[in-house]
Formats: sequence, structure tokens, C-alpha cells
Amino acid sequence: MKLEDVKKLAEMARIDMDEVEMGEIAKDFDPILAYVSQVQEALKLNNIQIHTGSQEDYFLNNVMRDDVITNQPGEYTEKILNNTPDTENGFLKVKQIL
Amino acid sequence: MKIDLKNLNIEKTHKHFTDGDFTIRDLVNEYLDVIKEKNHDINAYLEVYDDIDIQIEKAEKIFKDGNATLMTGIPMAIKDNMLCVDHIAGASSKILDGYKATYDAGVIKQLKEQGVIILGRTNMDEFAMGSSTETSAYGNTKNPLDTSRVPGGSSGGAVSAVAMNGALASLGSDTGGSIRQPASFTGLVGLKPTYGTVSRSGIISMASSLDQVGPIGKNVSDVEIIFNAINAYDNLDSTCIPLEKRKISNPTISKRLGIPREFLSGEGIDKEVLKNFEESCQKLKNVGYELVDVSLPLIKYSLAVYYIIMPAEVSSNLARYDGIRYGLSEQADKLFDVYSRSRGKGFGKEVRRRILLGTYILSHGYYDAYYNTAIKVRGAIKNELTNIFLNVDAIITPTSPCLPFKFNEKIKDPIAMYMSDLFTVPANIADIPAISIPSGKNSEGLPYGLHIMAPYLREDILFTIGKDFEKQV
Repeated sequence: MKLEDVKKLAEMARIDMDEVEMGEIAKDFDPILAYVSQVQEALKLNNIQIHTGSQEDYFLNNVMRDDVITNQPGEYTEKILNNTPDTENGFLKVKQIL
Repeated sequence: MKIDLKNLNIEKTHKHFTDGDFTIRDLVNEYLDVIKEKNHDINAYLEVYDDIDIQIEKAEKIFKDGNATLMTGIPMAIKDNMLCVDHIAGASSKILDGYKATYDAGVIKQLKEQGVIILGRTNMDEFAMGSSTETSAYGNTKNPLDTSRVPGGSSGGAVSAVAMNGALASLGSDTGGSIRQPASFTGLVGLKPTYGTVSRSGIISMASSLDQVGPIGKNVSDVEIIFNAINAYDNLDSTCIPLEKRKISNPTISKRLGIPREFLSGEGIDKEVLKNFEESCQKLKNVGYELVDVSLPLIKYSLAVYYIIMPAEVSSNLARYDGIRYGLSEQADKLFDVYSRSRGKGFGKEVRRRILLGTYILSHGYYDAYYNTAIKVRGAIKNELTNIFLNVDAIITPTSPCLPFKFNEKIKDPIAMYMSDLFTVPANIADIPAISIPSGKNSEGLPYGLHIMAPYLREDILFTIGKDFEKQV
């Protein structure tokens, strides 16, 4: 993988990294991707039972509940705000986006 | 009074409590003394909780009221990725620096209700990404059996706490082997339960479709008792299996076990490990088990499937760490830079690598070749195992392809480290339960582990075989 590709990934993932590390990652990725590409080989085996329906049937099912509030108003507010790096008047403060 | 911590188990402890041989406080004080003496060297615990006195009083009251269970008053350690309200929980990452849990994880709530004494939180690989606990932002944890070696990972602190006699048992989490491999490395029993039997609510997520919490203990019976205490439905975890769906219609055992021979002949498996495995097979035959070779042509692809699905889920799960709501926050003029600088500084090297790998795998143009293919193969592996379990009760292998290794031996080579999960990953891929049980030691005193996988929801099979095997070692 090229350094440029890793730079783009780091930007997409919102991770500030130096070029040395990105270079190392570019090098590490080739053997890792070669290894995981084995999955394509698995699909070519005889007698492999591939589920042809939707992915959802394998692992997922919907779990519903009534749309009601299950906690007291403000029950967690203080604890949550105590964790935030920057607050003002009970609000979470962030940088301007526009 | 000196309590023989080394030979204590949960049932014995409960009897000592009820017979009045020693109190919960006596026992807790003994464990705290051990922690004081050994933890600065071993680094199993990141923090010993400051509310232990209150916990003891609560447990004593449960006894007084006649509501005690086997778990009441049992001193346990937990992994640093489990939320315990008003206590710090950090997944051994700098990005969660100072984060205090706002609620109890489902499992913590269950343990508290039964009066378990939670001594503190233990070290782990950062966000559970690793097999040696060397990726922790809070230093290495040493293996109490040989301090020049790693305790395995990612639940390295949770196993070392028990192995150094700094807790009677502990809770770990297992995404690809993170309970079983460290249990094997420290001569303990570790269980990865069926996906959906134990609540994941309040567990700091790594890969949500694979993560499962489970017990670590000194013998099969202790692990079974703890599993029974946390094997419960939790409506805060939508993947938790409803209790009525957990009933087994015909809980029989035929005493026939499968050995996936081709899987054992692959590269990177120590000869010593294979020799010990053959000895374990003989021991199982001695107690009346029939061993048959089984063909599982797809199982060897489990690790490749894992290293696609896991980083994909990691990259989405860890998107929540943004430097805005909790933990480490780097100031910058633009919001984008607040995100990227906080994440750049807060995440360690292995975490950064896996997030980028997941980002790549899920990106346009590669999604089908990697993620969608891996999902298909995952389903096929699951089918393959389900079918084989029609003929055998369980599948046995070694737990780890190698013995506990030295610090820095594998940390620079990601593929070598990833190979640690070779035998343990299939159980996570197939959602089935698996256990590691000590199977002896080599001439240097380093422990081996026997790995057993059973059908969906059949933890009972693991406990039966495990107890039969344990008597032979």
C-alpha cells in the first residue's frame, strides 16, 4: 500500500499521525491484507454452504420495545456532564462548525 | 490468621463463611495484602477500589438476611473495559483518561446484587486489541508464573490477578481468545460463553458481533458457578438471548470428541504444544472418551475472517471517541482538528492500525472483496461446525499454538501476534461456547492449555468434560 493511501485513511478515520508511522502502517498492511484475502479462496471451495439470502438472516433479528422513557429526567445529567472536557450552563461546548 | 489462598475455591470459601472459620473482611484483607505485596511488580491491577468496606457491609447483610448465594462475599477482579458506576473505566487507553462510569454494566449489576466483592479493575491490551497485554497504555503486566514472560491477552491483568492470588476469580472479555489464551498462559480456567448468554451492556465495545464476557478461575467448578451467576437476560443488550430460547431440549452427552487433524498440521504451531495435546487426548481416553478425527476444511479460514470483521467493527465502534464528550481532549481551532488530534494522541499504535485497517476494509471498492466475503465465510464456518456437532459432543485443540512468550518477542510482528488466536477465534466466529483448561506444564514450569468447543448454548458439555479432564492432570 502507498503512503498516500494511508494518509487518506487516517484523514477519513480522523486520526492525526506522523509520516513515519503511516509509512510503517503502509508496510504492515501488505502482509495483513494478503493474509485476510484467503477468505476469497474459501468461497471457491467445493461443498461450501453459502447462505444466499440476506445477511440479516444469519446474525440479526429486530428487537423492539415500547417507545417510553425508562429513566427519570436528569437522572444521568450531572454524571455525564462531569465527564465532558468543556461545558457551559449545563451544555456541552464544541467548536463552531460553520 | 493466615488463609490458604492458593487452595481456596468458591465452594470452600462459602463453607468457611457459613461455618464462621473466617469473615468476608478477613478474606478481603488477605487479598489486599497480597496485592500490596505483589502488584507493583506484576501490574495486574490498575486500581484497587476505595469502596470495598461498603461492599463488604452489603455482602455481610445479604448473609445476615439469609439470601446468600455461593457468590456472596467472593473477592473478584474485573477487566478495565467493564463499567462500574462512579469508578474509572478506561479500557487501558489514554483516550478514556479520567472517564468515570455513569452506570453499572449488566454483569457488574448482577455481581453486586449477589454481594460479590469487586476488588478493582485490571490491566488489558488497549481496547482489548492484543494477545500479550503489551498494548496497554499503562505498562506491561507480568506473568506471575514467570515474570520474564507475558500473561497473554487481552485479559492479562484479569488472569494475573488470580494467578498471583490477588483475587479468587475474575471477569474478562473475549473477542477472539482474550479470556482463553491468557487463562492458558497462567495455568487457569477461562470460559468464553455462547454469544448472547452474558450481557454486553456497559462493556466497552471492541467488535460487537464477537465480544463476550466470561469468567476466569482456578478450576472448572468456580468458572461454572460464576457463569451461572451472570448467565442472565438483560433488556439493555439487544443481542442477549431471551431465557425461553436458551432451553436445551435434549441435554445428553455421547462422550465422543472430535479432533480437527488438518487444522493441527498448519504452520506456526509449537511441537511441544502438539505433544502436550496428544497427552491430553490420552487422558481423555483414560476416562472413557472416544476420540475421532473430524474434517473441518473451513475452520482454518476463521482467523482471516476475524481479521476482516473485527477491524471493520472496531473502526465503527471507536468512532465515538471524539475528544468532545469524555476522556482526553486536545484543543484546536477547528472541530476537525479537535477530533483528529484527540484521537491521534489518545489511541495507541495497535488501535490506530486496526482502525485504519477497518476503514480500508469498509471503504468503497473494497467492501465486497473483504467484508461481504468474510460475512459469507463466517456463515459457512458456522454451518460447518453445526453439522459436525451432530456427530461429536465437542471439538478439542490446544488453546494457544505457543507457550507464554517473552516481552517484545512478538509485538513488532502483527501477523505473529495475530496467530496467537488461531485455535480460539473459531468459537467467536461461530457464536459457540469454548473453554481453556490447564493441561500440564513443560520442564520450565510454563503452562499448556486444552481448548474445548461445544455446540451453541452447551456450556454444560464444557463443564462435564472439563471436570473429567481436570482430575487427570
